[in-house]
Amino acid sequence: MSERPPYQLAATAELAEGPPRSLGALLWRRFLEHRGAVASLIVLVLLGLLALAAPLAEMALGLDATRVDLFSLKLPPSAAHPLGTDELGRDLLLRLLYGGQVSLSVGLAAALCAAVIGTAIGLLAGYYGGWLDGLLMRLTDGVIALPLLPLLIVLAAIDLTKLGLPEDWATSENVSLYRIVILISLVGWTTVARLVRGAALTLKAREFVRAAEALGASHARIMLVHILPNAVSPIIVATTLSVGNIILLESVLSFLGLGIQPPIPSWGNMLTGAQELIWDAPALALYPGLLIFATVIAFNFLGDGLQDALDPRAVK
Amino acid sequence: MLTYVAQRLIESALVLLIMSFVVYGLIGLMPGDPIDIMVSSDPNMTPQDAARLRALYGLDRPIVERYLNWLGAALQGDFGFSRLHARPVLEVLLPRLGNTVLLMGLSFLLAFALALPAGVYAALRPRGAGDTAINLFAFAGISLPPFWLAILLIILFAVVLGWLPAGGMAPGGAGLGVQVQYLVLPIATLTLATIGGILRFVRAATMEALRQDYVRTARAKGLSERQVVFGHVLRNAMIPVVTILALNFGALFSGALITETMFGYLGMGKAIYDAILGNDFNLALIGLLLATLTTLLANLAADLCYTWLDPRITYR
Amino acid sequence: MVTRLVGLLCALVLVLAGLGSALAAELRIGITQFPSTLNPLIDSMLAKSYVLAMTRRPLTAYDQDWRLICMLCTELPTIENGLAVPEALADGKQGIAVTYQIHPGARWGDGKPVTSADVVFTWEVGRHPKTGVSDFEAFRRILSIEVIDDKTFTLHLDRITFDFAATGLEILPAHIERPIFEADPATYRNRTAFDTDPANPGLAFGPYKVVEMVSGSHIVLARNDTWWGAKPAFDKITVRVIENTAALEANLLSGAIDMIAGELGVTIDQALAFEKRHGGRYDITYKPGLIYEHLDLNLDNPILADKRVRKALILALDREALSQRLFAGRQPVADSSVSPLDWVHDPETPTYGFDPEAARALLDDAGWTRIENGIRHNAAGERLTLELMTTAGNRSRELVEQVLQSMWREVGIETRIRNEPARVFFGETVAKRKFTGAAMFAWLSSPESVPRTTLRSDQVPSAENAWSGQNYTGFRNPEMDDLIDRIEVELDRAKRKVLWARLQRLYVEELPVIPLYWRANAYVLPKWLSGLRPTGHQGTTTLWIEEWRDSR
Repeated sequence: MSERPPYQLAATAELAEGPPRSLGALLWRRFLEHRGAVASLIVLVLLGLLALAAPLAEMALGLDATRVDLFSLKLPPSAAHPLGTDELGRDLLLRLLYGGQVSLSVGLAAALCAAVIGTAIGLLAGYYGGWLDGLLMRLTDGVIALPLLPLLIVLAAIDLTKLGLPEDWATSENVSLYRIVILISLVGWTTVARLVRGAALTLKAREFVRAAEALGASHARIMLVHILPNAVSPIIVATTLSVGNIILLESVLSFLGLGIQPPIPSWGNMLTGAQELIWDAPALALYPGLLIFATVIAFNFLGDGLQDALDPRAVK
Repeated sequence: MLTYVAQRLIESALVLLIMSFVVYGLIGLMPGDPIDIMVSSDPNMTPQDAARLRALYGLDRPIVERYLNWLGAALQGDFGFSRLHARPVLEVLLPRLGNTVLLMGLSFLLAFALALPAGVYAALRPRGAGDTAINLFAFAGISLPPFWLAILLIILFAVVLGWLPAGGMAPGGAGLGVQVQYLVLPIATLTLATIGGILRFVRAATMEALRQDYVRTARAKGLSERQVVFGHVLRNAMIPVVTILALNFGALFSGALITETMFGYLGMGKAIYDAILGNDFNLALIGLLLATLTTLLANLAADLCYTWLDPRITYR
Repeated sequence: MVTRLVGLLCALVLVLAGLGSALAAELRIGITQFPSTLNPLIDSMLAKSYVLAMTRRPLTAYDQDWRLICMLCTELPTIENGLAVPEALADGKQGIAVTYQIHPGARWGDGKPVTSADVVFTWEVGRHPKTGVSDFEAFRRILSIEVIDDKTFTLHLDRITFDFAATGLEILPAHIERPIFEADPATYRNRTAFDTDPANPGLAFGPYKVVEMVSGSHIVLARNDTWWGAKPAFDKITVRVIENTAALEANLLSGAIDMIAGELGVTIDQALAFEKRHGGRYDITYKPGLIYEHLDLNLDNPILADKRVRKALILALDREALSQRLFAGRQPVADSSVSPLDWVHDPETPTYGFDPEAARALLDDAGWTRIENGIRHNAAGERLTLELMTTAGNRSRELVEQVLQSMWREVGIETRIRNEPARVFFGETVAKRKFTGAAMFAWLSSPESVPRTTLRSDQVPSAENAWSGQNYTGFRNPEMDDLIDRIEVELDRAKRKVLWARLQRLYVEELPVIPLYWRANAYVLPKWLSGLRPTGHQGTTTLWIEEWRDSR
C-alpha cells in the first residue's frame, strides 16, 4: 500500500463515482479525451508501419529504391511511380519510406539514449544528493549552457579514428547515422535529468522509500524499484516531445551539410537536396518537408496528450 | 544579495574556464590544420614551407602547451587574430555580437510580447476554440524546419511580392527605414521559430498558477477576474517561464545561426560556423565562449528576476 | 498614433522609391565568398582575385583566347625579342634573365607612380621567411632583381621553363606598405594596409579603387582616376557577398543585385533551373573551364593497382549520359587532364566510351569472376568493393557519386560512399592519402599547366616529405617523369606539342585518374550588360572590367 504511486491517489478520488478500473484503463481513457493526441498517435503508427513496409512496397512496385536512372529524372507521378521520381530518377515514394525509416529511427534511438543517460544522472543526483548532486547538476548546467549547434558542428567533424574507434566501424556508410544518434544523446539528456532529479528528491523523503531502506534494500534496488517507477511519467512525456525535436534537428544538420550523408535517405537530407529544385520539381521539397512537419507536430501533440493523461492535476 | 551575485559570477567564470579547455580540445580533435589546407591548395609549397608556416602559427606545439599559451595571452586581453578575416578576433566578433543581439533581442521581445497575452488567453479558456487555435499555431511554429520557413518567406516576400530584400545587411550609412527592411524577414523567421515554445510555457505556467490556493482565495474574496489574473496569476506564472526562457537562450543562438545563414546576416552564429569549418581557431573559440557567457549571464539574470517576481525568495 | 503610422508608411514608400533611382551607372555583383584579406600576397582565394582584378593588374596574364599578354608591362618578353636572355648560373645550371617595363601611365590611386622599387619591395616581402606568404616558391625562383630605371627591371630566374613570362606577380605599394612591413615582418600579415585601411586609394592602380569594405558583407568600388586604360562604364561597383546560393538567386530576382558572377556563383543545376524560369529576363552564359572533376584512385590499393580494373571502372560509366542528363551537356565529358580548349590538347588521344560488356570482360580477366548477390569476388573470396569519397554538402558531387555507385553496381562493383566536410577531406584524407578507393574532387589549373605536382613520382605525399606534393594516387611511371621534365624546359612550341601528345596518350593508357567532366561556370547577367567574356581559365572576367558596357 505504501508503494502506491502518487497519482493513484488522485486517480482513485476521481473514480469515486464510476466502477473501479485498472490504472492503465483509466490513463487510456484520459488519453482518449485528448483528440489531437489520439489523431497524432494514429498518424505516427501509420507512418511507422508505412516506413517499415518499405521493402514490401519496393517488391509490389517492382522497383529498386537505390537504382539511379538518368533517363527518368524528376518525372511526374505515374502508375509506375505513384509520387514520381527524384533528381536521380529514383522512385520518390520508396525514397520517402526509406527516409522515414532513417528519420524515425534516429529520432527514437537518440531520444531513448538521451532518456537513459538523463534518468541515470537524475537518479544518482537526486537520490544521493550532497556533493554528487552538486557536481552532476553543475555538469547539467554546463551542458545546457553550451551553444548546441556550433558544438554539434565541431563534434560532427571530429576524426573518429583519432578517438581510437575501430577503423572498420569509423569508415562504414552508416557512420553518419550513429554519429548523429550519439551526438544528440550526449547533449540531449539534460531535461530528463532535471525532471528525474526533482522527482527523486521528493520521493526519497516518502515513507515507502524510508520503509524500504529500513528493510535493508540496496541503494540500487531502491533507485530502480522504488523511485524510478514513480518518476516514469515525466520521463515518458519529455522523451516523446524530444523525438520531434530531434527529427527537426537532423534536418537542420543536413541543411548545414553535417547530417546523414547520401546515399542513405533521410527526410532531412531529401529536403535539403530539394532546396535548389524548389521551382523545378516542388514535389521533391514538398513531401519531405510535409512529412517532417507532420511527424514533429504529431510527436508534440502526443507528448501533450500523455502529459494530460499522466498528470493528475491537469485541468479538464 | 551582492555576495550571491559575486558567487554566481565566480562560478560562471569557472564554467567558462572549463569550457575554454573543452572547446580548445574539441577543435584540436578536428582533422586538418590550416597548414594542411594550404599545402593541399598550393602545389608549389615545399615541406620546408609547411614546417615554416606551422612554426609561424605555433601549430607545431603540443595542444596543452598551445592552450596554456593561448590562455596566458587571453587573460592579458590578447585574443589573437582571426585567420579567416585577417584582423583581431574581437574586432570581427564584437560588431557581429551586436548584430546577433539585435536580431535575437528583437525577435525575442516580439515573440514574448505576442506569446504572453495569447498564452494567458489560452490558459484562461482551456479546450476552447481560441485555445485550440493558439495551440495549433504554437505546435506548427515549433514543428517547421527553420531553414524551410526562411526559404518560404524569402520566396513570398522578396521574390513573388518584392516587398523586402531577400537577405544581406543594409548598406553602410543607410537610413533607418532601409535598416528595418533588411531586418524584417530574419526577425520574422526567428520569431516564428521561437514563439511556439514560449507560448506553450506561458500557457502551462498560467494553468498551473490558476490551480493554486491563493487564486481560489482571491476569487473567494470577490476580486474581479481581471484583478485575479493581473494581480496574482501572471506574477506567479512568470517564475517558471523566466527559468525556461533563460535556459533556452542557448537554443536561440542555434536558431540565429540558421537565420543568419539563410539571410546572409552578419551575426555571431554564422561567424562561429564559418570559423569552425574554415579552421579559424581563435575566432571559433572566442565565439563559442562568448555564446556560453551570454547564456550563463542570462541564467543569472533569470535568477535575479525571481526575487523581483517572488518576494519570498531571497538570496544570501 | 495613426498619423505617425501614416508617416512611417510614407517614409517606407520613399525609401523604396529611392532604391530605384540609385541604380544609375552602378553595377551590383553577387558572389558567394568574402575574401579573407585583400593583400595580394597572403592567402590565395578566388574572391580576392575577383576583386583585385578591378583594382590592380598582374604583370602578365592569359587572355580570353588563352594567349599570354602584358597587363602591367608594355611588351611581353620573349627570347626572339631579346627581352628574355638565357644565362648560366653560378652553380652551372641554366637560368634566364627576363626584362619588363612597367606601363608608363601606371600610377597608384594617390598619384604616386608604380615603379621598379615597388617590384623589389614585393619580392622582399614575398621571400621573407616570416611573412607567411603562401606562394613562397614563386618568389624563391627569382634569384635577384636588377633595377634598370624607375619603370624597367630585370628578373633573374633560377631555371628556364617555357612559361618563364607567365608570372602572375602582383605588386605591392612600397610607399604605403614598406614601413608597416619593416616594423615587424612576422606580424605584417595582420597589419597590412589592405586590411587595416582598405579604402586607401594608394593601394590601387587599376580602373577601380575600394572605397568601402564591410567584412563578410560587401565591398564598394569607385572609379580610379589614375587608371591609364579605357574608362570603365560604371561609376560604382558593389560586390555583395551572399554565401547561400538560393538566397543569392532570390537577391537577383528581387533586384538587390544585378548579376551573379560565374566564377563564384550558382551551381550548374541551379543555373539550368533558373534559365527555365527566368531565361527571358537574363543572359545566362555557360563556360566550361579548367576545372577538372575527376576521381583520384589510390593505386596502393591492390584492387586498383590492376590496370584492367581501372579500365573496367571507366568503361562501366556512361559519362556522356551523366553530362547530358544531369548538366544538360553544359559540363562536357573530360577525357584526360588536358582541356580540349588548350592548344596542347591532342584530339588523336584515345578516349573511353560507355561499354559495360568490355568492363565485365576486363573484370573477369582480372580474376573477379564469382558473382554473389550481384557483387564480384575473386578466387581468394575477396569482395570487389571500393570506397568512394568526396566533400560532404557539395550537392553536385553527391549526385554524381550516387550515379557512379549505381552504374558500377551494374557490372558487379560495390562502392561504399563516405563523405567528409571539405576541410577534413582536403586537409586530411586526400592530403595524407587516407582514402582507400576513389576520391572525387577538381583540379583548378592554368593554360598549358604541366602536371608536375600531380603526376611526377617524387610528388607522392608521405610522412617523410611532410605530406607535400599532390600525386595523391601514388602514380609512379618513369616515362611520365621524363615527359614532365622535358616539357617544362622545351621552349619550341612545335616540339613541346609532340611531347604533350605523348603525355596525354600515356595518361589515358595508364589511367591513374578517372576523368569525369569539365566543370562550367554559369554567368547570370542582365540583358543590358555586354562585353563580359568568360575566360575558361583561372583569370577572372574582372581583369577586363573596363570593357564591360552598360546599355541601359
